[in-house]
Amino acid sequence: MKLKLIYSHENVKRPILAEIILKTNLLINIIEAQVTANIGEMIIDIPSEGERLKEVINYLRSKGVIVKEVIKTIEIDYEKCIGCGACVSSCPANAIKQNSNWNIEFIEEKCIGCKICVYACPIKVIKAV
Amino acid sequence: MEARGVEELRTYEEINKKIKSGDAIVMTATEFIEYVGRYGLEKASKDVDVVTTGTFGAMCSSGAFLNFGHSDPPIKMIRCWLNDVPAYAGLAAVDCYIGASSMSETKPFEYGGGHVIEDLVSGKEVELRAEGRVTDCYPRESIETTVTLDDINQAILVNPRNAYQRYNAAINSSNRTLYTYLGILLPNYGNIHYCGAGELSPLYKDKDFETIGIGTRIFLGGGIGYVIGEGTQHNPQNQMGTISVCGNLKQMSGEYLKGAVFYRYGTTLYVGIGIPIPIINKRVAVSAALKDSEIFTNVIDFGVPSRNRPIVKKVSYAELKSGKVEINGMEVKASPLSSFKYAANIAETLKKWIEKGEFLLSRPVELIPNYREFKPLIIKRRELIVKDVMTKEIIIGKLTDSIKDVAKKLTERGIDHLPIVDSENKLIGIVTSWDLAKAIAQDKKELVDIMTKRVITAKENDLIDTVVKRMEEYKISGVPIINDSNHVIGILTTDDISRKLVRRRLL
Repeated sequence: MKLKLIYSHENVKRPILAEIILKTNLLINIIEAQVTANIGEMIIDIPSEGERLKEVINYLRSKGVIVKEVIKTIEIDYEKCIGCGACVSSCPANAIKQNSNWNIEFIEEKCIGCKICVYACPIKVIKAV
Repeated sequence: MEARGVEELRTYEEINKKIKSGDAIVMTATEFIEYVGRYGLEKASKDVDVVTTGTFGAMCSSGAFLNFGHSDPPIKMIRCWLNDVPAYAGLAAVDCYIGASSMSETKPFEYGGGHVIEDLVSGKEVELRAEGRVTDCYPRESIETTVTLDDINQAILVNPRNAYQRYNAAINSSNRTLYTYLGILLPNYGNIHYCGAGELSPLYKDKDFETIGIGTRIFLGGGIGYVIGEGTQHNPQNQMGTISVCGNLKQMSGEYLKGAVFYRYGTTLYVGIGIPIPIINKRVAVSAALKDSEIFTNVIDFGVPSRNRPIVKKVSYAELKSGKVEINGMEVKASPLSSFKYAANIAETLKKWIEKGEFLLSRPVELIPNYREFKPLIIKRRELIVKDVMTKEIIIGKLTDSIKDVAKKLTERGIDHLPIVDSENKLIGIVTSWDLAKAIAQDKKELVDIMTKRVITAKENDLIDTVVKRMEEYKISGVPIINDSNHVIGILTTDDISRKLVRRRLL
């Protein structure tokens, strides 16, 4: 499950994520992070579901971090896609494949939200959402 | 060997007669390969009259001549823009050429000539702006209006270089992401991008140009076009032949002419081209039957910023199309930039046109040459190279030197960089005055702990410009100059460059 975390001025300086990792023993992966002295935004991937995931979310919220589920990262307009493949090997996460007819397939779970594909697409049919 | 283009198995007249009566046997290149596999080349070349091909890729050397008609009062356009994209107006009063890679002045790297062509062909209104030179013939000074493809007199797609037989594949050995005309190349051999349609590639299916020449009728941008000659940079002896083509834009479609952007590189046009290959003799049949596994290209390292980029590997299109290529023991993912899906559609569409009797084959007036010298551009004014500027006095340290020895050398000689060599005098590291400062701060005792081991170097014949870029990229102020056997033969520092360049200018 991917989560977007928004840190405020008050909590950005505290090692909240490190606390959670120590507490839960979960291998949390930081996919994207933009942290300044005043505010921080992070996208993390938690390899867990159900109760344990809830535990993480509740802990984050108790520390004042705003938590949002990242449902979608990009959108491909399959009608306009020419199936060239420029996005396929540009994707560092192997989240875009080409099937035997060279049609593009997007594997949402693998996407790390880096948006390279948005830039790689020569026809501009991939949009960041 | 018999003359190129000999019509041994069938003539163009015989083929066209069969097309008109609906009896011609037409196959796409993919179908032909399968047929040859099943029945053998002998029977296939007897049975099949025409093999259709297709490619749909970025072709920067594309564009269109447009004639707008005369306004009242009339104008002689000397500068002209379509949707803010500059078009070439050094022609007669209201003719222009809009090139695919010309970029919008308001939205560069987003919108360009290729997009203007796609918009026009899709029936969209395009803004026309022009400035003129006022004369007795042409009193108007400027014009601003909109045009559609229907409004203008002629719109002729004229592409000086299209449909490369095959194209180099690209990889990136450097440690930063590169933004190229072969797509985004991830660092450290992160991915491979390749182009060309492989076994569907029009010019590879008649690789000695026995049937393709001036006047060959082709599928172009969804309509009908013609080959008008060899393309620029035609290099058939290396299977990198090209053609120039033209066709009436008014009967083409936005489906097969698509404006495109290569991020941080520029704009271009995806062009759809399909060529019918008449199986006039056995050699043409052999060529038309070539499979992806028999068509090879080179993976080139774009991490090296030179015209002569090193070849990392020779690969077949079959290997490329598998999506993975082995490079130095690693599996590197590969993906195309041209669309095989569209290429297959084009070959299929062309086949249908011929089967329906709507498209006849034409015998070329003159064949495209199958040899052409390929010249580089020689820079005739001498440019500064490392040798002109570097310090030739060699001051080096040994790995066995103490930090104090090194500090002494730097201060006594008044230098900031000391290359470190091994017992065979080969370069293994570099120490700067900054490293010495760090050594003191961090209480380091051994030279090996403070020297930089991955040394950025240059050769004496490298261009100063290239080395300066390298120094900026790595944020360093000096590079040891080495020979082919990794011996230090000098050093080049930013001091050398500024001092000598200033002196040169003063002289």
